[in-house]
Amino acid sequence: MFNGIAGGGAEDLPQLQSTMRAIELACSYIQINTNPAAAEATILSLHQSPQPYKACRFILENSQVASARFQAAAAIKEAAIREWSFLSTEDKGHANSSDAYVFSKVSSVAAQLMKRGWLEFTPAEKEVFSTRYLRSIAIFWTINQAILGSRGLDVQFIGIHFLESLVSEFSPSTSSAMSLPREFHENCRKSLEQNYLKTFYSWAQDAALSVTNKIVESNSDVPEVKILNWEFRYSKGGTKGSINVFSDGMRSDTASSRKTECVIVQPGASWCDVLLSSSHVGWLINLYSSLRQKFAFEGYWLDCPVAVSARKLIVQLCSLAGEVFPSNNAQMREQHLLLLLSGVLPWIDPPDVISKEIEEGRSGSEMIDGCRALLSIATVTIPVVFDRLLRSIRPFGTLTLLSLLMGEVVKVLLANSNDKETWSYESMDGSGGNAWLPPEGMHAAASLFSLIAESELKLASASATTDEDDADCLASVSAMDERLGSYALIARAAVDATVPFLTKLFSDRVARLHQGRGTVDPTDTLEEVYSLLLIIGHVLADEGEGETALVPDALQTHFVDVVEAGNHPVLNCKIHEQCLDANMRSSIFSPRLMEAVIWFLARWSFTYLMLVEDCNLGSNQLQSLPSRACLFTFFNEHNQGKFVLDIIVRISLTSLMSYPGEKDLQELTCHQLLHALVRRRNICFHLLSLDSWRNLANAFANDKSLFLLNGVSQRSLAQTLVLSAYGMQSSDASNQYVKDLMAHMTSSLVDLANNSDLKNLAQQPDIIMLVSCVLERLRGAASATEPRTQRAIYEMGLSVMNPVLRLLEVYKHESAVIYLLLKFVVDWVDGQISYLEAHETAGVVNFCMSLLQIYSSHNIGKISLSLSSTLLNEAKTEKYKDLRALLQLLSHLCSKDMVDFSSDSIETQSTNISQVVFFGLHIITPLITLELLKYPKLCFDYFSLISHMLEVYPETLAQLNSDAFNHVLTTVDFGLHQQDVDIVTMCLRALKALASYHYKETKAGNTGLGSHAAGQTDPNGVFHEGILSRFLRHYFMCLPFSCYSTDLVSTAADALFPLILCEPNLYQGLGNELIEKQGNPNFKTRLANALQVLTTSNQLSSSLDRLNYQRFRKNLNNFLIEVRGFLKTK
Amino acid sequence: MSDEEHHFESSDAGASKTYPQQAGNIRKGGHIVIKGRPCKVVEVSTSKTGKHGHAKCHFVAIDIFTAKKLEDIVPSSHNCDVPHVNRIDYQLIDISEDGFVSLLTDSGGTKDDLKLPTDDNLSAQMKSGFEEGKDVVVSVMSSMGEEQICAVKEVGGGK
Repeated sequence: MFNGIAGGGAEDLPQLQSTMRAIELACSYIQINTNPAAAEATILSLHQSPQPYKACRFILENSQVASARFQAAAAIKEAAIREWSFLSTEDKGHANSSDAYVFSKVSSVAAQLMKRGWLEFTPAEKEVFSTRYLRSIAIFWTINQAILGSRGLDVQFIGIHFLESLVSEFSPSTSSAMSLPREFHENCRKSLEQNYLKTFYSWAQDAALSVTNKIVESNSDVPEVKILNWEFRYSKGGTKGSINVFSDGMRSDTASSRKTECVIVQPGASWCDVLLSSSHVGWLINLYSSLRQKFAFEGYWLDCPVAVSARKLIVQLCSLAGEVFPSNNAQMREQHLLLLLSGVLPWIDPPDVISKEIEEGRSGSEMIDGCRALLSIATVTIPVVFDRLLRSIRPFGTLTLLSLLMGEVVKVLLANSNDKETWSYESMDGSGGNAWLPPEGMHAAASLFSLIAESELKLASASATTDEDDADCLASVSAMDERLGSYALIARAAVDATVPFLTKLFSDRVARLHQGRGTVDPTDTLEEVYSLLLIIGHVLADEGEGETALVPDALQTHFVDVVEAGNHPVLNCKIHEQCLDANMRSSIFSPRLMEAVIWFLARWSFTYLMLVEDCNLGSNQLQSLPSRACLFTFFNEHNQGKFVLDIIVRISLTSLMSYPGEKDLQELTCHQLLHALVRRRNICFHLLSLDSWRNLANAFANDKSLFLLNGVSQRSLAQTLVLSAYGMQSSDASNQYVKDLMAHMTSSLVDLANNSDLKNLAQQPDIIMLVSCVLERLRGAASATEPRTQRAIYEMGLSVMNPVLRLLEVYKHESAVIYLLLKFVVDWVDGQISYLEAHETAGVVNFCMSLLQIYSSHNIGKISLSLSSTLLNEAKTEKYKDLRALLQLLSHLCSKDMVDFSSDSIETQSTNISQVVFFGLHIITPLITLELLKYPKLCFDYFSLISHMLEVYPETLAQLNSDAFNHVLTTVDFGLHQQDVDIVTMCLRALKALASYHYKETKAGNTGLGSHAAGQTDPNGVFHEGILSRFLRHYFMCLPFSCYSTDLVSTAADALFPLILCEPNLYQGLGNELIEKQGNPNFKTRLANALQVLTTSNQLSSSLDRLNYQRFRKNLNNFLIEVRGFLKTK
Repeated sequence: MSDEEHHFESSDAGASKTYPQQAGNIRKGGHIVIKGRPCKVVEVSTSKTGKHGHAKCHFVAIDIFTAKKLEDIVPSSHNCDVPHVNRIDYQLIDISEDGFVSLLTDSGGTKDDLKLPTDDNLSAQMKSGFEEGKDVVVSVMSSMGEEQICAVKEVGGGK
């Protein structure tokens, strides 16, 4: 539509005007929502027309409609990125405008243009170039002048704004996509950092200085000036902020090696003078405090943008660390921090006054920022220094201030809960986390902790009767965890005082419970005990998620003088014995309290229980750790360990049996407590000798009430019990143990399957439940397969093979049971497959294939009643889960070829796994509809299996019949068109594997993919081209046009390269076709060149080795950068 | 058409019966009786009565015959009624003018008391399969004295 104008006759004024009007009209249409499609099309055609610069510029300069100008700027951006290399320099400039959002767009466009050209110019060129390029604003010295205010406030504002957008464009996280490799962005960032960032910063700073006076002097009666100033200051603050964030990212993130490089590149010396010596910090703080005074009576001020950004900057300055400070000058650093601290102090000191004001309605943001600043300071210093900082200006140390502050916050928390406390907690973290504090700090921590504990208890008893919402509850659990975690740090800073204190609190509460039994409503106290348990648990032990938990250092090194083991403070858990008494249980131990007890026990036993036996092996450690020795004696020599263990097992059995229907409690018991017990072998060993454990196993096998647990718990219980077999002396004994444990389950399944009336019986709800339970348990046992128990579990699975197939038949309508059946088989195969001998493997594989076939025969072509959409969706989800399980089954089978522990030699005639898997795929792929592939997980599983198969066994694929072959490749084709990058990558890998296999084979004189690749003439005489040609044609034609992300280019290159080698003639033809399509002769030659370069440059040769792949990747990348822009133009 | 003297129904006399099951054990996808109707559970959530009280289950379920949505709250340690839902496959032998279908039972008799399902997709499939002479198997779901055709599947043949 705009081609004519944009291309040649751009001088034609009326035409330009008509374009402008069309765009303006379209914009206003969109705004009032009339005929939006057409309007969008109009705007889109502007965006996509080649060389729209003149038209856009005309619109920018003349249009009265802001949104039209916005669109024009956007169009320029798009076109410029697309057609960068043709741009004549005159086109690169355009006028500025004053409307805020149009302006920000324009400046970001300008920034992007700068960036695109950034690496292609030398610095000198850059300046010259920018002179033309941004006329009034861009060239650096102009900016500089602008900022210095010689051109008036407006220009100054614009200049700053431009700097800001430049910086944000260059920082990787906020840059905009340009369809260029990441490397480009990275290079831009580096160069900007090295050469300009500091300059920008000083400009911003200078500018800020120059207006400061004005602001301070300006009378608050002149609101306009004020607003302008604010706005101005805001943008400046923002600029500096982003610069800071920018350099911050490098400083704080020493972990990532690339960023540390940057720190070295930017030596302390160069930034030092700007940030530290220039008294800039002092200026900033003065500014803030003077502003603060000035507007002290206007409440809104604290939250207005200027104040916020100024505070942000101060906080960032606080976290300044690393090489900025000359390494020989510690004093300078301390001074810097002190200066900042004195600036921050009025925000938070004295705490009580401040918090009162906040309660009375003042904004709390200043206090939060103050806490943040303290946090930053604490993280960059060691506690002693941190504490000393304040001492020089106040009679007390920083830590004291902090604990005062904290105390205030806690008090406020009692009155009304708000979220500002989190920050002070964290700053406490910072200081408390560092282990050694001066005595005074320790004292402060102790008193603080008692305050916290008291307040927490008050909170608990207050909330005991309120009935919270479930959702609310869930959200607060993790927050609570975090909070308690930071309490624990505080408490550990002064263990001597806090642990006895907690013990005392706890026994007080328990005594109170006993007294009031039966007479007083215990709810308040219960809630107190509950939260006390949580606090104690956090203080005593760390969360051992996935690792071996260690006794916290602080606790280990204290209590060295505790000789009498029974008095060891960490053993106060004995109280829990009481819950075994049925009478006590009904009156005191509510489910919620039991949850806390179980949680506590899990955490405690994971950290402490019988820990020392490991240590016993290397007993020389015992001398150095008297506390450990003490624990050791307690658990081992007095045989107390077994006693405690016994109690724990009995408690868990109670919680499983006596709290029917309390799902949370049971899950906690099974997952956390019992699981924690079987994680160490020495504990397993003791467990097996305990009567209580035997009772548990017995109850598991025979007791009806354990069948009432919910499925997940059943599974995990079975898993735990099987895992405990690890503690048996010999492998035989372990196997026997597992056999005994599971015999009951397997026989019940076998009996049921052999029942002559199975068909009717099976449909009864109680039978369904029994079957589900048994299946869950079998699954749990299967997932606990260990080398020691593998035999027993193999036999267990073997004995239920036929029943499983029978049940699959009978329960074909009962999808829940089917899913359990499949999952059991999946887990069992996963655990077993790598151990199996050849004949066993064959058996298992046959079993899996019949399973697949039966499943498929029940489900293919089945249409179910769709009474309601909910039920329909449910049904779909069930299908999806089933299929996913089946795919997992196939993947597990695949792994047999990778990991194999069997004793057979390789030569033994064994099952050809790849054929089996393809056969399996053949059975289930018809069930996988495109609809179902919309489930991302299923899609992912399917394609990862396919790409694995093609990569590892291309030869098996070649042997498939053409139907099966085509089916597989159709899905690959489907996958290539998915949005998900992972899926596309997998498909590309599959394609690469296929093509390179074919190429290598044919080169070696073999047939490769044979007729599949050669193409064939079907009975109707229509020629179907070979599969590879089809992919090449298809793929090559879309690659330049589609918006593949740049991450995919190298994978795409890997696939394209062998394809081209396989079908060189077709490639030539396609290239020519592409060239012919171009109307513009200029483009034609460019494209021809690019195609030429693609296959010849970088000494690309025709062998498929790594080096060549790499070269081709590079070539393709360049090719796309070169031509994608104009190929995309419509 | 009300000839219900089917051989197997003697052993299936309990088809309308319900079974007690602990509420905490009824999970999503299972069945439950709410307000005397057999339902399929589509959502279960648990909550507590007061902080230190006992757990209770909140069920959202859909009537398997009418697709109406029903809800219930039961303490999780209490029992709920679970309906016996039976599904039997029959071969389709005829579709009559008035919309009734004739089904072949395992024992060789016929069952003629069911209408074509109201679900368009399902009935279209039945009709087309039948007209093309394919072997069509229909699943009939029965529970608490009600029956309906719930699924259809072609098992080849015909063409």
